[in-house]
Amino acid sequence: MQKLTIAIAKGRLQNEAIDLFAVAGLSVSSEALASRRLAAEDQSGRCRFIFVKPADVLVYVEHGIADCGIVGRDVLLESEADVLQPLTLRIGACRMVVAAPANVILNTYGMLRVATKYPRVAAEHFGSRGQPVEIIELSGSVEVAPLLGLADCIVDLVETGRTLKENGLRIVELITESTARLVVNRASYQLKAEAIGSLIDSLEKQ
Amino acid sequence: MIEPLSKIPDGMRYYFGREARLRRMVEETVMSVFDGWSYEEITTPTVDFYSLFEHGMGSSEAHRAFRFTDVDGRLLALRPDVTSGVARAAVTMFEARERPLRLCYAASVFRQQPQSHAEWRRETVQAGCELMGANTDAADLEVLSIACEIFQRLGLGDNYQITLNDVGVFRGLGERLQLDEVCRSEVRRLVDSRNGEDLLAFLNERKCDPHESRVLAQLSKLSGRREVLETAREVLDNPSSLEAVNRLDRLWRVVEALELSKHFEIDLGDVAKLDYYSGLTFSIYLNGAATRVGSGGRYDGLTAIFGSAEPGVGFVLDLDALTRVVLEQNTNSNEQQETEPKTVIANSDSSLPFAEAIKRRGEGERVRINFER
Repeated sequence: MQKLTIAIAKGRLQNEAIDLFAVAGLSVSSEALASRRLAAEDQSGRCRFIFVKPADVLVYVEHGIADCGIVGRDVLLESEADVLQPLTLRIGACRMVVAAPANVILNTYGMLRVATKYPRVAAEHFGSRGQPVEIIELSGSVEVAPLLGLADCIVDLVETGRTLKENGLRIVELITESTARLVVNRASYQLKAEAIGSLIDSLEKQ
Repeated sequence: MIEPLSKIPDGMRYYFGREARLRRMVEETVMSVFDGWSYEEITTPTVDFYSLFEHGMGSSEAHRAFRFTDVDGRLLALRPDVTSGVARAAVTMFEARERPLRLCYAASVFRQQPQSHAEWRRETVQAGCELMGANTDAADLEVLSIACEIFQRLGLGDNYQITLNDVGVFRGLGERLQLDEVCRSEVRRLVDSRNGEDLLAFLNERKCDPHESRVLAQLSKLSGRREVLETAREVLDNPSSLEAVNRLDRLWRVVEALELSKHFEIDLGDVAKLDYYSGLTFSIYLNGAATRVGSGGRYDGLTAIFGSAEPGVGFVLDLDALTRVVLEQNTNSNEQQETEPKTVIANSDSSLPFAEAIKRRGEGERVRINFER
């Protein structure tokens, strides 16, 4: 069977993803993991893992450098990557929400200022109901934007909700709730059909 | 804003030297195979009315074209595809010609927004063929055989994979689900990305029949060989989907009989983006290319928009993607060096060296003039 290259998002998802593959029979030795190398072979030699930044998983998969990858739904929604998503995994559960200061009622008739790391998701969400918005793209600490008067509300990923509470925000709306996905390159899906198929089967059984 | 003159626009590029030569070689090989199957070459206008593509390809694909206005205000486009123009020619210019009509082309197409990030080119040379006026399994098979021969001749005989589908399968289910056009295109996008989970959520939100929805989600992930059709038959119960499955089955048997089945796969999730397909559709993949390098299918309704409906089937290859794969393969196998030219020295005060050069050129030799001071 052909060898697969699998891209895994570093950070939040990495350990969960490695455990998932280990149960599916593709495990990486602890030395390889500890060495902080960016690529590691699995012990059976059937695949190679590469560890990259979450948004880059899609870049590697779309260009066919990696045949498949594991990536959070938030990254997928924000990207326009043309990849296949044949499997939903049980890891990396998250909620994408609209949150606003607890004491403020949002004025939905004028122009809403929305701070977010996910400008596409935010534009799509408000656009679908015809709400005019000004999207303010930030690269981190989005929660403080309403506090400082930069925005009326935020669109962000929530895991426990604690950070929101600490910054005096409440969830106004749930945009989507979901888990990580297995993404596959279009050409690899056909040309390495057997290897990809058996990977999907073994991940699906869990 | 002033752009530095050294820049070129995104998605545009130069071809030079060996790569340019190989690209021409690939084009000539492809065109010679078309010629060998009695296809006549046609060139369509580079600039055409936008409405041609809007009606031909469907507006969602056509709007990726470069658009601009004519002096009278009508909307023009740099052609984003060739098939639309060929189909128009078939029922206008070639109306009186005997059928079937066999046409082929190699031409640049332009798209303002590329299909995927891995396919960053905005100008691509497409080569393709169209077989019009024949609505039989044999016609479908003819174009598939041509595609196979092209890959053989390019030395890629072990590297390609063609996936077959029939739009009838999806269309039959779509009718059952009673989706409007906007929903249909979203469903198509979700099926195309094999995204069963979001597909079910989307259909559920629209109160679609849960059984039919599950069937669709299941079919989107069905790919493989003939057994796929057996599974599809078990879960499908609408006549037009079943008829499409039967068509695929007939085709598969012939592909098997021709001993080509190792290059083929059935993939019911590979739903074509182009609106004009009406029956068989296929995609072509090549080891070493991250996106599909070709696609095609049957488009029996396309010419109706020009006033006369007639059956047609054809496919198109991305010559630039093919060239890249051929180039990489030849780099690995150390292709022979080009012959070193016989050098002729030119002195500015005499025509003699040029007489020598012209003579050698007459003998087919490669020469290079040196301008010595």
